[in-house]
Amino acid sequence: MSSPNPPTTAADALLRAGIDRSLRHPVMFFLTSGAAWLAVSIILGMVSSMKMHNPTFLDGPGWLTYGRIFPAHINTFIYGWGFQAAFAAIIWLMARLSRQECRNVGTILTAGHLWNLGVSLGVLGILSGRGTGMPWMEFPLFAWPIMLLSYLAIVVWSFIQFRLRPVGHTYISQWYLLAAIIWFPWIFLTANILLHFITGHPLMAAGINAWFRSALIFLFFTPVALGAAYYLVPKVTGRPVHSYSLAMLGFWSLAAIAPWAGMQKLIGTPIPYFLPYIGAAATILFFIPAVAAAANLIKTAIADGKVMAYSPTLRFTLAGIVALVILGFAAVFLNLPGSTLRMTQFSLTGYGFDILALYAFFSFVMFGAIYFIVPRVTRREWLSTRFIRWHFYLSIYGVIAVAFVALFGGLMQGAAQENWQEPWVNAMTQAYPYVITITIAWTFVLVSNFFFFLHLLLMWLRLGRRSAHPTLLGQDDHAFSAHGPDGESNDVETPAPAH
Amino acid sequence: MSLKNFILGLAATFGTAWLAVVIVPFFTMRAMDPIVVVDEVAGTEEVFIPKRTGRVTDGSAVYAANGCYLCHTQVVRPTYAGNDMFRPDWGGIPDDEERGDTRRETNPFDFIGEHFAHVGVLRFGPDLSNVGNRVIHNYARGGDPEMWLYEFLYNPRALPERRKSRCPSHRFLFDQKPLRGQRSRLALNVGDENLEIIPSREARALVSYLLSLRKDQPVPDDLDFAPVARSDDG
Repeated sequence: MSSPNPPTTAADALLRAGIDRSLRHPVMFFLTSGAAWLAVSIILGMVSSMKMHNPTFLDGPGWLTYGRIFPAHINTFIYGWGFQAAFAAIIWLMARLSRQECRNVGTILTAGHLWNLGVSLGVLGILSGRGTGMPWMEFPLFAWPIMLLSYLAIVVWSFIQFRLRPVGHTYISQWYLLAAIIWFPWIFLTANILLHFITGHPLMAAGINAWFRSALIFLFFTPVALGAAYYLVPKVTGRPVHSYSLAMLGFWSLAAIAPWAGMQKLIGTPIPYFLPYIGAAATILFFIPAVAAAANLIKTAIADGKVMAYSPTLRFTLAGIVALVILGFAAVFLNLPGSTLRMTQFSLTGYGFDILALYAFFSFVMFGAIYFIVPRVTRREWLSTRFIRWHFYLSIYGVIAVAFVALFGGLMQGAAQENWQEPWVNAMTQAYPYVITITIAWTFVLVSNFFFFLHLLLMWLRLGRRSAHPTLLGQDDHAFSAHGPDGESNDVETPAPAH
Repeated sequence: MSLKNFILGLAATFGTAWLAVVIVPFFTMRAMDPIVVVDEVAGTEEVFIPKRTGRVTDGSAVYAANGCYLCHTQVVRPTYAGNDMFRPDWGGIPDDEERGDTRRETNPFDFIGEHFAHVGVLRFGPDLSNVGNRVIHNYARGGDPEMWLYEFLYNPRALPERRKSRCPSHRFLFDQKPLRGQRSRLALNVGDENLEIIPSREARALVSYLLSLRKDQPVPDDLDFAPVARSDDG
């Protein structure tokens, strides 16, 4: 059985409705607070990008300096938005796939508030000048135990649900989610304990920090997004996964390759020579799990072109999967020691790669999941296809610009940095046009997420449409009203209308 | 696949990498062997003791908290990994009066006194491995290097040749006080007649740290590869 679509019976429908009802508040809490952090993060990203080409912009007080705004931007993106979207996806998907209602809503909500408190205090710590200076770990020391404890209190129930699942086959999404649940605390504890509590060599500390950043992308955000995509694509198209053995190959190759990646960022520093080379090799090999999963998912989805056109879930998810393919290629071409690595090591390319992974791939799949999950847990349909469409197009336009400009601009910048016969200032001015473009592109992403956040908030307030018909794209807004045509959406699991 | 086998699989795949690239290198590098310098003429042996002066620890914390590592790196890569050594003043001083060309790659002893090496993530500004050297020998030649750095941090674009700098102003690291009696030794040469602008505790730590970034101690041959420094066309 390679599909999350078992034959539907009345008992199944009741069970699913029960699971959705039990998870309504935690899921909506994580999604709305995550979306709010996303908006904060994008504003901070815009401001910091603006400061790169216009250093007198918002100049003056310490908390507005570039060196604090930028870490606040990336940390709110990762821990404010990324993790909370992942929490919502993990708890909902795991409950559905393990066929159990959530019995720990109170604990999860409390822990969710604690997580938000940790992130808020961490951001205040960075802005007030208490940042640690370790990229992606800039939150002051007190934040990480709070975050680790609340993380465990949020996801441990999903682990238990998996253990208590009914006997039978386990679906690929569950492996991905379970692995992410286990990998993250392992990575997080290792990095924080070694960097904060054990005195080691300062360079090795920097190496472990680079490994942590890479592991966060490849061993937390990637498996969560792939777990969600492996659920959503077959569910929306109503088809089994193209090849289940390819899916397993994708999973185990990720598990075997990704933990070695990361230290290529330190090539040329006097750490043991094999570390950067192993890091580069593993990052290049990330191409295999990326393309295995992407090919499998795309093959599953394109069997029916029509669904692609009207399902917002599928559209966002597949856009994310296409970004994964690009990420796989970028991992190969940007990390070749001796040719490209020297140009990408200290250029804008690093940021482009991170945004490609975190926004174009992970966040797009999460948006796809959100457009699928929220109507089910709120028992309301999305209000406006126009909002969804704007969210999609502005986001995709913005993120393509940010990621590609940073990737290619970074290569140009890197080439100029390597050109030692020219004065250094040329390498700097070379990057300005790209930085300006990044500022403009973030504006598009900001506008798109304004629509998204507003839409989501309305849904949480249960102001969505009461309808048996999902909100679909590619049609006029009214064509799919409660009285509109029906029929094509049979494969999309539709919640019963509220009473 | 059972949960037990799955977890064993994860432990094997992740655990191997974790041990090989994180745990073992970390604990091995904690205790580096000292470098023994043998003086064949005198027949003596001594241990190389890296030296660094300045407020390294607290200056490094100010450097970290204000995100200097976001635009500046602290590594001079060997030529196999980049062209840093060819930049005239990144690796050291090309024309030191006593020692000649002192340029060299970063070595593992360069970060003593720091908890975390601020290798950096982006070079929007220049590498700072030898910024102390540069300030002393080039920028503030003949003047007070400390004051040069305070003035730079206060307004990086003040000097005509630095109009293109995109470094943020760090005015918030300075205290503005009404002038009472004699002007402070560290007061900046800007502003009102009745005011003085003095570097705060943080600014003083930061400048001391930046001046400690100079690799001008002679190193034993084991650490000095100097691939291009001695060539005539370099």
